[in-house]
Amino acid sequence: MMEVCGSTNVSLREFGCEQTLLSRPDGSASFVQGDTSVIAAVYGPAEVKVSKEIYDRATLEVLIQPKVGLPSVRERSQEQCVRETCEASLLLTLHPRSSLTLVLQLIHDDGSRLACFLNAACMALMDAGLPMSCLFCGVTCAINADSEIITDPTAAQEKESRALMTFAIDSKEQRVMMSYTKGSFSVHELQQCIAVSQKASENIFQFYRDSVRRRYSKNL
Amino acid sequence: MFSGLREKVGQVLVPGDEFSLEVQETLSLTEPLKPEKVLLGPGLKRRGDRKLLVVKSGVLRHKQPHVFWVENHQRRYVPAKGETIIGIITVKSGDVFKLDFGGSEQASLSYLAFEGATKRNRPNVQVGDLVFAQFIVANQHMEPELVCVDSAGRANGLGVFGAGGLLFSVSLGLVRRLLRPRSDVLSDLQKLFPCELVVGMNGRLWVKASSIQQTLIICNLLQSCETMTTAQRQQLFRRAAQGAL
Amino acid sequence: MKDTPLSNCERDFLLKAIEEKKRLDGRQTYDYRKMKITFGTDYGCCFVDLGKTRVMAQVSGELVAPKENRPNEGIMFFNIELSPMASPAFEQGRQSELSVKLNRQLERCLRNSKCIDTESLCVVSGEKVWQIRVDVHMLNHDGNLMDAASIAAITALCHFKRPDVGIQGDEVTVYSPEERDPIPLSIYHMPISVSFSFFQQGTYLLVDPCEREERVMDGLLMIAMNKHREICSIQSSGGIMLLKEQVMRCSKIASVKVSEITELISKALENDKRARKAGGRCGFAESMPQERITALKTDETSVEMTDASERANDIVENAEVPPQTVPSPVVPAPGVGQVGQGLQNTWGLEEEEEDGDEEEEEQKMEEEQDEKEDSREGDVVEISDSEEEEVVILHPETQDKSSKNAASSSNQKGGKTSKQREKK
Repeated sequence: MMEVCGSTNVSLREFGCEQTLLSRPDGSASFVQGDTSVIAAVYGPAEVKVSKEIYDRATLEVLIQPKVGLPSVRERSQEQCVRETCEASLLLTLHPRSSLTLVLQLIHDDGSRLACFLNAACMALMDAGLPMSCLFCGVTCAINADSEIITDPTAAQEKESRALMTFAIDSKEQRVMMSYTKGSFSVHELQQCIAVSQKASENIFQFYRDSVRRRYSKNL
Repeated sequence: MFSGLREKVGQVLVPGDEFSLEVQETLSLTEPLKPEKVLLGPGLKRRGDRKLLVVKSGVLRHKQPHVFWVENHQRRYVPAKGETIIGIITVKSGDVFKLDFGGSEQASLSYLAFEGATKRNRPNVQVGDLVFAQFIVANQHMEPELVCVDSAGRANGLGVFGAGGLLFSVSLGLVRRLLRPRSDVLSDLQKLFPCELVVGMNGRLWVKASSIQQTLIICNLLQSCETMTTAQRQQLFRRAAQGAL
Repeated sequence: MKDTPLSNCERDFLLKAIEEKKRLDGRQTYDYRKMKITFGTDYGCCFVDLGKTRVMAQVSGELVAPKENRPNEGIMFFNIELSPMASPAFEQGRQSELSVKLNRQLERCLRNSKCIDTESLCVVSGEKVWQIRVDVHMLNHDGNLMDAASIAAITALCHFKRPDVGIQGDEVTVYSPEERDPIPLSIYHMPISVSFSFFQQGTYLLVDPCEREERVMDGLLMIAMNKHREICSIQSSGGIMLLKEQVMRCSKIASVKVSEITELISKALENDKRARKAGGRCGFAESMPQERITALKTDETSVEMTDASERANDIVENAEVPPQTVPSPVVPAPGVGQVGQGLQNTWGLEEEEEDGDEEEEEQKMEEEQDEKEDSREGDVVEISDSEEEEVVILHPETQDKSSKNAASSSNQKGGKTSKQREKK
């Protein structure tokens, strides 16, 4: 069994976010982690095509646009991860027979892509004023060749890692909403990474709160 | 009972924040139990028997005696019964008009729902006209319905309008600030130029002033005063009144 | 999703305002909106803000085989993506009219004007050339997408640096940016498009229409020019009749605007070059305005992990024992692998549904199948050996007993199926 000698101090790169940066969408946000940056835009609740409408819930559609070329299978699988997380936290039953569209545009990829998509999506959904039962955030952990856990890895660190995991954590009870893993790792390592992600998510949620507080600071 | 809620009035909340109902530990035998009730506005939802959940991010506001809601900068409108909105007619088919008001469906407006309208005397409404109407049916399960008369059958300000003015969009928060009983934005505006203003709660405003230039000035002022503090806004309005803009 | 329809009163007001030479945001008739050009972290990424219209362009290059009729020239590929983010009317994947029009205009503006030296992109004549790909993504649509896209595309091409290539005999080595400095593209001139919108059958014109003005306009004239006052492309759409003097006037206005815009682009490129030389970080993250209340930034934070490992240990110890895993595959005969024992054969259920006069056969079938189950490990199940179906035998060397059983069972099955067919 592989033991993980985790360092006692893992760190997250610097964050940045901007809300309401686009005038057309109902909600928009950009999220920056180190050099990885993503823009998210939300439209909804809006008209839905009859072929896609669901009688008791809103239809959530997630579109991920890569920077170069057309969307491929990788984007589709990441879309599914983001959509499942959003559907778990949005109160979709409040808007039946309507559509929610979430568009994510990758600006620069320097590792932790999926986590950045999740964070940008959550901020955009908050900005659009859609009802959510909890917030969510994404954290990526990598296990490198020395069996150390690295959170929020850069692209170079991701390439050298033995295993790469992304978790979506909710804000109420810090439970795992979605997990996406690549590589081989032991059960013990998995639990360690989940525990580290839950700890890291506290920082991210505090950042959400601070940015929303700043946004409404002129209204207080 | 909801003292936890009262403490947080004026603070910024995010979705997922919960408030739980405190149960009174000691019951007084001499005084009658006063049932406390709380009216929850947008942004707050009841979860189970004793919990309140915040579902939107924004500032918690309170109005005496027991109304709480979360105010935010949302742009998308969700219809609610009794609200007056500005709609644009899109389809005129038979007995019913279809209006676009910026929601997830188009609302229907019967041609009989105008003042003095009968089967022979149809209202003069074309596709693309603006209508100021009120919701009588507006919930998530049914198609929204509008009327241009109040319950007594009088128009009371509702109906077709629009020639000569400009329609533009703002956020729902600004619209609510304009419709408050003693609105500061509205009082500042009144000191500027004389103008006609129609406020739709779906975020649409219609302005008509004596000249095109003044109409454009008012439109730009209202669109930009959303994110300003009171002092900045008053300064901007003063500059506009002096003719600098 | 449908876009908000335009009401009659908006249309009337806009046309009346244009007659009085007044625009919605207070501009003059020949004024552009505020333009801002920023660059991303890697070379070839550029953002253009034209008022509220936002556009992002990314240039990338790869080595491919050249086109057959032009073996000495590199390939340029342009792609404008109308992202659903920009407007609720844009749909993913659907090639709308607007998308085709913008793509064609950008190609004519940049490719046909030969602004890039494609012969310098050739590495090995006839075998390897550079394919330069320009992707333009619309982020926010507030009118005049064509101008913003053309500015973004040409600025990104000026900003882009391709990797250096070394040729030794037949071998071609591509050096990474760390090994050798990348080389910029050789650009002869910078064509920039300027859009004019016409109202009231050509009586009034506006430069750089915003989205509402675009909705009420009668026609659009697009002139692509460079700063040497050479017209690279002209396109008029909407079916308006323009007089010669109007077109000449527009081209004069366009030349003034193009020189202003070209200066802005050169200044932005200079600033970026200086910032990169100074070693500072540049990119989208840096260009985020900090003084706005809608933006926030934090520094690198560390995560407290002290009780994380204890929690993990607890969870692992308290977890249930995982179910017994499947053993590794067993190879009973060459060419055949087996994992596990397989489930019980449920074909018996299907045969019970058949008619009574076939019961005897069924019983025989079941017995034979029970026998066969023991012996049939790793065998191939032949479904039927009728001539109509193509049978692929995976494993030709079966044991005699099992093959006999298989043959008899398949005969039986064949018989049964033929009986079934007769019945049907």
